[in-house]
Amino acid sequence: MAFINLQNVTYKYPLTKGPVLQNINLQVREGEFVSVIGPNGAGKSTLCYALAGFVPHFFKGEFSGEIEVDGKQSSKSTLDEWVLNVGLAFQNPFNQISGAKYTVFEELAFGLENIGVPRDEMKVRVEEAMALTGISDLADRSPYSLSGGQQQRVALTSILVMRPRLLVLDEPTSQMDPIGTREVFGVVRRMAEQGMTVVMVEHKMEWIAEFADRVIALKEGQILMEGRPNEVLTSDLLTENGFGVSRYTSTAREAKKRGLWRKDHLPVTLDEAVEGFKK
Amino acid sequence: MHERLSFHIQRDSFLHRLNPLTKLVLTLALILIAFTFPWYWTPHILVLIAIIPLSIVGKVFREFSLTALRLIIPAAGFLFLMQAFFQPIGEDVIFKFYFLDITSESLMFAFRNAMRVFVMVSAFTLFLVTTHPSELMSDLTRRGLPGQFAYVIISTLQILPQMQAKAQTIISAQRSRGLDTESSFFKRAGSLIPLIGPLVFGSLVEVEERAIAIEARGFTSRHVKTSLHEIPDSAFDQFLRWALLALIIVSIGLNLWPS
Amino acid sequence: MLEKIKNNFNTQTWVLIPIAIAINIAVGQIVLVLKLPVFLDSIGTVMVAVLCGPWAGALTGALSNVIWGIAIDPGALPWWPVAAMIGYMAGRMAQWGFFKSWWKVVVTGFVVALTAAIVSTPIAVYLFGGITASGSSFITAYLLATGQGIWSAVVSTSFLTEPVDKITTAMIAFAIILGLPKRTIGGYPKAQQVETEGQTNNTQMYIAIGVVVLLVLFAAFMLRNILGG
Repeated sequence: MAFINLQNVTYKYPLTKGPVLQNINLQVREGEFVSVIGPNGAGKSTLCYALAGFVPHFFKGEFSGEIEVDGKQSSKSTLDEWVLNVGLAFQNPFNQISGAKYTVFEELAFGLENIGVPRDEMKVRVEEAMALTGISDLADRSPYSLSGGQQQRVALTSILVMRPRLLVLDEPTSQMDPIGTREVFGVVRRMAEQGMTVVMVEHKMEWIAEFADRVIALKEGQILMEGRPNEVLTSDLLTENGFGVSRYTSTAREAKKRGLWRKDHLPVTLDEAVEGFKK
Repeated sequence: MHERLSFHIQRDSFLHRLNPLTKLVLTLALILIAFTFPWYWTPHILVLIAIIPLSIVGKVFREFSLTALRLIIPAAGFLFLMQAFFQPIGEDVIFKFYFLDITSESLMFAFRNAMRVFVMVSAFTLFLVTTHPSELMSDLTRRGLPGQFAYVIISTLQILPQMQAKAQTIISAQRSRGLDTESSFFKRAGSLIPLIGPLVFGSLVEVEERAIAIEARGFTSRHVKTSLHEIPDSAFDQFLRWALLALIIVSIGLNLWPS
Repeated sequence: MLEKIKNNFNTQTWVLIPIAIAINIAVGQIVLVLKLPVFLDSIGTVMVAVLCGPWAGALTGALSNVIWGIAIDPGALPWWPVAAMIGYMAGRMAQWGFFKSWWKVVVTGFVVALTAAIVSTPIAVYLFGGITASGSSFITAYLLATGQGIWSAVVSTSFLTEPVDKITTAMIAFAIILGLPKRTIGGYPKAQQVETEGQTNNTQMYIAIGVVVLLVLFAAFMLRNILGG
């Protein structure tokens, strides 16, 4: 039995014309790290909102199909129960600062206070989570005084500290430098190895290839293809459908046309590219 | 942008250590007694025996005096002048100007009202200076105030300076494009919309996403909330609160007593 | 009753209130800079009232006033019931369908102004003997000097000064709501209250603006009469 199970999920926001998600069928097993890619307007964020319960509970609109996480059906749950199991962090870090707290430490405790975690446990969990994402030194800073990348780390940590069974991330590294991005992917990978299921929308293909278990390519609200990162990210289908690809993939594809790339598979990461060109 | 609206000054004093609710009750007691106790000199005496000593006990006398000089005394003084001139009571005219006259009664009346306002604002100022907003809100939430109130108060205190900074930026930008605050009425009225528009639309569009972010962190959870900070509440605090409450009741009672 | 209060408040309401308070205060300060003869310090309050309901509006007004009092002008503190009533009344008017077109918004502004005038009178009379720290007290003082009773002097002053301010406030709040993308409004508890009737056309808006200009001229005329006489 899959940990996440989407059956024929179709959804249309209120006041919009067509559906944003069409007939999505998706199964994810527990502890799997799945990455979702797709061009603008493909429905990636809506898929995140659907997994996190905000579609349809928060946005209303027309929803059909069934979303199941850990055996529970979204339609039969309420949002405040659903978020205990499913954590969501999204792109704009500024809007994820609660505003109700003066320091990063307090900010991270905000969610734990809301769900009634005892004080002593709260402190331990906040400190652990800060150590995990490398923001312990920001504990006493005001969340508003941080850089975009630091705020994104705080946003991610504020969800991790709640220990959801499913972690949904919508471009959580958009304002981070390559080092920060790599660290975040590393943290997420580690969480998956400890049994947390992760669905992450990203367009940084190199890191997806290196860390994710599976890639789902979304286009116009439908799943275009899915599979192992290397298969999906190097597929010609992606370029034909206007997806962005890693610069190493496009370089190697060009090289292949000119007979300079002799391996069967195209590379996604720098290492693979170097390896391929060496031969 | 990083500044926030807070008057709190971190010190280690008796007043700082009091429970926030105790300080809130103290503040209300000072205000209500100043306004209701039926003796003319009540607010004046309160300044001498409560407001000033409290500012010393709270180790904030210097900051408090500065605020009083800069903000509170001008406000109370302005009210004093308005009332002394415009209040048409009394017979004993001291000074006459056009249709306005100052009588000894209107002077006394204005003096008391100005002192009442002085007590009110001073008490509030002392309270805010010696109490951290998040401590106050944690304590009130623990006592049953819905957690959403804490959210509203503290985020207002953080958003307001951001919004004011934005307003300042917009005003200077419009000035450099020829906005003239001395120009004709209709020109100034017409410039209102380009000033307000950019200020409000951005923040209103963000509301949805910010609501999602806090709901994802259990904002609407039906669990009993806990608090990161432990706020001390001693037996002395409780005693003080009851005593102050009794004083408030006596003062209001005397005020309503048919004399 | 409690249910009716509660249905004003969803998460979007709680997020909107601090922003509305900040809008009240920031716009109020811009108006001070522009030296316009209005306050316009309750645009946010009216927006919360019509989008979320009267109780949310009342809370926004009261908190706004307290924070304005603490942060900017201590003299404003005692007037919080007026600010709360402005929010409450705007919310009620919206509930009765009076926030769906320009002329109805003008009516709302007018009713809100009358309410504000009525609520502020006892505060002005009991707390300040009719004379407050506001510039409009000059009118009250004159009326008192001409032998009018204190209540009627204070009420007349408010009736002269409030409508322009509150009608303009309601119109700006309406303009902002019309300008927002429909999608961002849908999540508020009373979003249906601002579903406009048919097309809100510009002619209506110009007529509404005309009404305000007339009111300004009327107030100026009255003032000149009072002060000249």
